[in-house]
Amino acid sequence: MPLAKPVVEELRRAVGREAVIDSANDLRIFERDGSIAGAIPDAVVLASNTQQVAEVMKIASRHDVPVVPRGAGTGLSGGAVTIHGGIALQVTRMRRILEIDPVAQTALVEPGVVNQELSLVAARHGLFYAPDPSSQKACTLGGNAAENSGGPHCLYYGVTTNHVLGMEVVLADGSVHWVSGDAPDRIGLDLCGVLVGSEGTLCAITKIKVRLLKIPPSVITLLAAFPTIETASQAVSAVIGHGIVPSALEMMDNVTVGAVEAHYHAGYPTDAGAVLLVEVDGIEESTRELTDAISKILTANHGYALREAQTTAERDLLWQGRKGAIGALGRIKPNYYLHDGVVPRSRLPQILSAVGEIGEHYKLPVANVFHAGDGNLHPNILFDMRDTQVMHQVEAAGEEMLRAVVGLGGALSGEHGIGLEKNAFMPWIYSADDLEAMHRLKDVFDPAGILNPGKIFPDASGKAVHLAGRSGLAVEAKWW
Amino acid sequence: MVVTARPAVEKPSSAEELARILSEAATARQAVVPVGGGRASGMGNPLERCDVELHTTRLDRVIEHSQADMVVSVEAGITLEAVQAHLGRAGQFLPLDPFHSPGHTIGGLLATGWTGPLRLRYGSPRDYLIGIRVALPNGKLATGGGRVVKNVSGYDMMKLHYGALGSLGVIVAASFKVFPKPLHDVTVVSHRGWEGAEEALATPLAPSALEVSSDGRVLARYLGSPAAVDRVVSSLEWDEEDSAIWEKDSRSAPERWARIGAPPSELRGLIGHIPSGDRWWASPGVGIAHWAVGGEAMTVAELRSRVEARGGTLVMLAAPDDFMRQVGAWGTPPPTIGVMRRLKQAFDPDGILNPGRYLV
Repeated sequence: MPLAKPVVEELRRAVGREAVIDSANDLRIFERDGSIAGAIPDAVVLASNTQQVAEVMKIASRHDVPVVPRGAGTGLSGGAVTIHGGIALQVTRMRRILEIDPVAQTALVEPGVVNQELSLVAARHGLFYAPDPSSQKACTLGGNAAENSGGPHCLYYGVTTNHVLGMEVVLADGSVHWVSGDAPDRIGLDLCGVLVGSEGTLCAITKIKVRLLKIPPSVITLLAAFPTIETASQAVSAVIGHGIVPSALEMMDNVTVGAVEAHYHAGYPTDAGAVLLVEVDGIEESTRELTDAISKILTANHGYALREAQTTAERDLLWQGRKGAIGALGRIKPNYYLHDGVVPRSRLPQILSAVGEIGEHYKLPVANVFHAGDGNLHPNILFDMRDTQVMHQVEAAGEEMLRAVVGLGGALSGEHGIGLEKNAFMPWIYSADDLEAMHRLKDVFDPAGILNPGKIFPDASGKAVHLAGRSGLAVEAKWW
Repeated sequence: MVVTARPAVEKPSSAEELARILSEAATARQAVVPVGGGRASGMGNPLERCDVELHTTRLDRVIEHSQADMVVSVEAGITLEAVQAHLGRAGQFLPLDPFHSPGHTIGGLLATGWTGPLRLRYGSPRDYLIGIRVALPNGKLATGGGRVVKNVSGYDMMKLHYGALGSLGVIVAASFKVFPKPLHDVTVVSHRGWEGAEEALATPLAPSALEVSSDGRVLARYLGSPAAVDRVVSSLEWDEEDSAIWEKDSRSAPERWARIGAPPSELRGLIGHIPSGDRWWASPGVGIAHWAVGGEAMTVAELRSRVEARGGTLVMLAAPDDFMRQVGAWGTPPPTIGVMRRLKQAFDPDGILNPGRYLV
């Protein structure tokens, strides 16, 4: 339903005429994020500063219109999809790095700054920003903070919440607040910690203060092939079991490696059942010692064709392949449905064989590329949306995989968020009392429920709502 | 403490029993004070009321420890030492070394947010707490997080309760990511005060713990692979010290003491304003210092205003009640205090938990 004319006029007065989009054609651009769901917003506001965000929030509050904060739209759980219509609050015009303090090792950024750009700029001071989602070339730091994003190097360095020192946020009533800051152990409740990862349901983020780390002097990237995905996952458990936590420990299965190699020619062994990409960093003595120890463990666990990247270019190419893996899967099928369950690491062999069986049962190809060290799976179910019957199969297979994850003591999402993709499944891992406590939190920040409605919490009716069958939800093919 | 009668002492042996006692107290509008090991009982303003002391010490089990997953779940009343003994048998540990040890319970450490020198390398439990179970005044047990090391399923309820001094609910269980014991652990000492600390912070392998004290002593602890640690330690040319010194230091708990938290680059300047003769010890790099307050309330107020002007906080960890009333435990409330009050209202509508003690 389009917004009432007076509401649109109020928005235009607040942010400028050209910064409000409400024509049907233009709105379609904002229909989707990186998930398989989509819904067209009633209006898009391109905010340029905190004050404008606050004004938009006040207008939305007055007229009871939903607001969905949106960064680059790369999210994989539907977090930026305006499932209940309303305003998509686009923050990508707020893209300044306001300050880098090389002494304190911090950066103050606007939410639209692209993740990788911060590390590129910080590198001039010998610093980097640790959380590195695979979409880091496009995704924004505001989106990262809202989703508490992870990435390959979060195994050692921790996820976004461990690196956010403070934020400027706008609440549903349009009030602007700073939460936390540079000093440790601030007094009062940890609002910043609560707001990171709240998926746009508690606030809009307008500034972020993050911690930067020193670029390690030595990095070694090691590639190892394994006969099967099971032997590779046992090797992962063995490395961690030896008390070694590398900075990254990634796995790709044979299907993924084939697609990646065809696209990137990074030198991944295409005959292997699975490959592990291991990285250690630190000072030279420690990286050498750790790599030698890891190599021994991998070899003892059926690893072969071990290879260290000899140059930075070689290392970058390996990572390009890993981080671009999901795009490369387009060579196999035009569409993918990427899941994000987490299991206790020792359960990797079981969950991977379960995932394989589920794929076979539904006759859907599955490509695994994931953060093995964290136990964070990313099975990609590959399909072609032009086959209209297949969507329900894809969803059913995905749901079964998640059930297997939960059955092994795991969680619904490691880094992509719940959004509208998994909200129906929240009761699988949380009791009614658990969810009620989370609701209390929601009600404090957003009593009228205008912030990103329809996300995180299961539908009030308690029924599982299927993506493919949701009314008003356009599920269409993506092409690349 | 303004208490007319002796409070009832409750020592439930299960989370369910604890939740029931809590809800009964809420129904009767009785003030409840959660108690763990009692090591941080001086923290906060003097209580307005105390009808029920709710001890967690019988909730002292390790619920599950998966060595391969490096995850442990424990009940809140278990002591840190008991957890460490359990993990130690598997070559693992929680990198937590709070002052006023031994005897802290896990629940108490989470509620107070107390940490120690190892925070420099490992962060605080805020960083490695992966799941929490809390009894709420309505008698419900609410869980957040889980037992996996990476999890964004739902709101981060761990952050809501960490450091909240039991004012929103009583923590009954928690899950942590645990860490492998380091391959090599070397402590070295210098007596060159802040200059020494700067020198240690600049080494290519950062120290895992660093402590500078008012007497000029600097302790640096290096953890990691033997070759790396040995190289850095030998280039530093400090004297080697027995690692047991850390445990000895962790017993520190003056009768009247405060914690200063400041942006790390501001800490040295602020510590310079501590009255000479008063003992203090600090974690440069983290931005935390502890101060044994020797003088009158006025010295606390003066230093607090300097610390707050630099974006930091000064919190009294223990002091006689009249002293605490004069200075206030917490300092100037943050501008977000209104939101915090609404959270308190949402979780503890009758205000029965630790009334008057915390900021909300």
